[in-house]
Amino acid sequence: MFPTLNATGDLLFLERFSVRFQKVNVGDIVVACSPENPRVLICKRVLAVEGDSISVLPEPYAQDAAKNVLIPKGHVWLQGDDPYKSRDSRHYGPVPYALLQGKVQLRIWPPHSWKKF
Amino acid sequence: MFSDIARKFCQVFNLFCCVHVFHAHVGQLHYVVGPSMFPTLNATGDLLFLERFSVRFQKVNVGDIVVACSPENPRVLICKRVLAVEGDSISVLPEPYAQDAAKNVLIPKGHVWLQGDDPYKSRDSRHYGPVPYALLQGKVQLRIWPPHSWKKF
Repeated sequence: MFPTLNATGDLLFLERFSVRFQKVNVGDIVVACSPENPRVLICKRVLAVEGDSISVLPEPYAQDAAKNVLIPKGHVWLQGDDPYKSRDSRHYGPVPYALLQGKVQLRIWPPHSWKKF
Repeated sequence: MFSDIARKFCQVFNLFCCVHVFHAHVGQLHYVVGPSMFPTLNATGDLLFLERFSVRFQKVNVGDIVVACSPENPRVLICKRVLAVEGDSISVLPEPYAQDAAKNVLIPKGHVWLQGDDPYKSRDSRHYGPVPYALLQGKVQLRIWPPHSWKKF
């Protein structure tokens, strides 16, 4: 999620109401259970919600290989801000909404980079 | 008088915390309605006890009945049987009638294949694909109600 979040680690505050009442919007940063490993949490940005159609570049370099993906019902498209280093929905497809754990609201640590998202 | 009210409030709050911890981490009661698991479960409704340890420690096996969040609607819980786990290859009939249309599906890492016992009435992984393991909520252990059909799964 570089440069939005530090690669060395950030302490974030998530709130769960947005996820519980399905108020997650495009552009929000969320934490979710990984679809590939249930013991791992991932932090990505929501780029599309159910019903949207998103144009996806499987490889950031290959501009002419873009394909359109329709997000199915009950799913969202998660993608990291750094497309070269992120493993996200481009690799494992749309993520079911029920996997979302919370929406990132604040960065608390490091203290000099305190930020409200 | 206020100390009595405060004491009662603390007792109720403690009870709520205990119930919440049990519900979230040990086991839950769920009333499951629907025809998709007929004849194993009644279409008119069963009260089931789920335990959460199996799911938490990834001890769910093929043949277990589980309750999971629906991948199509996060507000809905589904009750299905696990037919395959990650790494397995399962032969799927998209339509129960069409024997010659079977296709092999390889279950990806971190996913399971859920299917109802009644293939004609169930909407399951044949329609929405393998389900991420993290959506599983609990493994069904007991049927408590109706009392004459008490059963350990």
